[in-house]
Amino acid sequence: MKDDNLEIFVECASEYFTTVTEKSASVSAPFLIKDINKYLSDYTGIIGISGNYKGSVFFSAPKNMLIQVLTAFGVLSVDEAKLMDLVGEVSNTISGNVRKEFGDQFMLSTPIVLKGKSDNVKMTKVEQIYVIPIVWRQYQANLIINVE
Amino acid sequence: MRVMVVDDSEIIRLKISEVLSSEDFEIVGTAKNGLEALEQFKLYRPDVMTMDITMPMMDGIETIKKIVALDDKVRILVISALADKATLLKAMSLGAYGFLCKPFNEYTLTEAIEELIEDLV
Repeated sequence: MKDDNLEIFVECASEYFTTVTEKSASVSAPFLIKDINKYLSDYTGIIGISGNYKGSVFFSAPKNMLIQVLTAFGVLSVDEAKLMDLVGEVSNTISGNVRKEFGDQFMLSTPIVLKGKSDNVKMTKVEQIYVIPIVWRQYQANLIINVE
Repeated sequence: MRVMVVDDSEIIRLKISEVLSSEDFEIVGTAKNGLEALEQFKLYRPDVMTMDITMPMMDGIETIKKIVALDDKVRILVISALADKATLLKAMSLGAYGFLCKPFNEYTLTEAIEELIEDLV
């Protein structure tokens, strides 16, 4: 995936927070990384990509950020299952929204959710891994794109 | 009006149910995949359904096809993150009445539902 194709991820991540929480997020420009594990946080939603594109999209966020997003969304009774549900839903929503640019052959799996930092995240053979930092309120999440 | 909410995310099911309940809709069922939706549809026969597309077991496209074969009068609002034109056109051609792209909030959801049923009320 070329740098030019990543702008749509920035746009869709920004739109997610503005729409759901009514408070905008600061979404930075993507940059290349080597080790994904340094950018994983408390909860990570992973969407497998197939079709004309191959790879994965990750959304990883700290617990307190997810609690605040759930509250802003109107979900007041927060538990472990809802935190995992939310992180999967964010990764799915952003990945689904970018199909307005990539089309229906940017095919998505249902979300896989990881809790905690893991040293065992398996990457596809796609060499380039980009991170898009998302700062919302005082919290930072990362959108990680490993797609070709 | 009787509504069934279909989405694999519990928080999305809760949010849609909460918003529509406050608008005087009766939530008669919720389902987390197409198979559950079909079972519940046969039991409760809702007037309106909200339908996710990306779900395990049976996706929303297949579910719409099967639901419309049972009752082509049911008003189905697709609520999905899949923002491409092909998905929208496919859902509409199978019998969905409306399409709301995620992410949504209570204002965009209420507006979409009002548009879905405006000729019925």
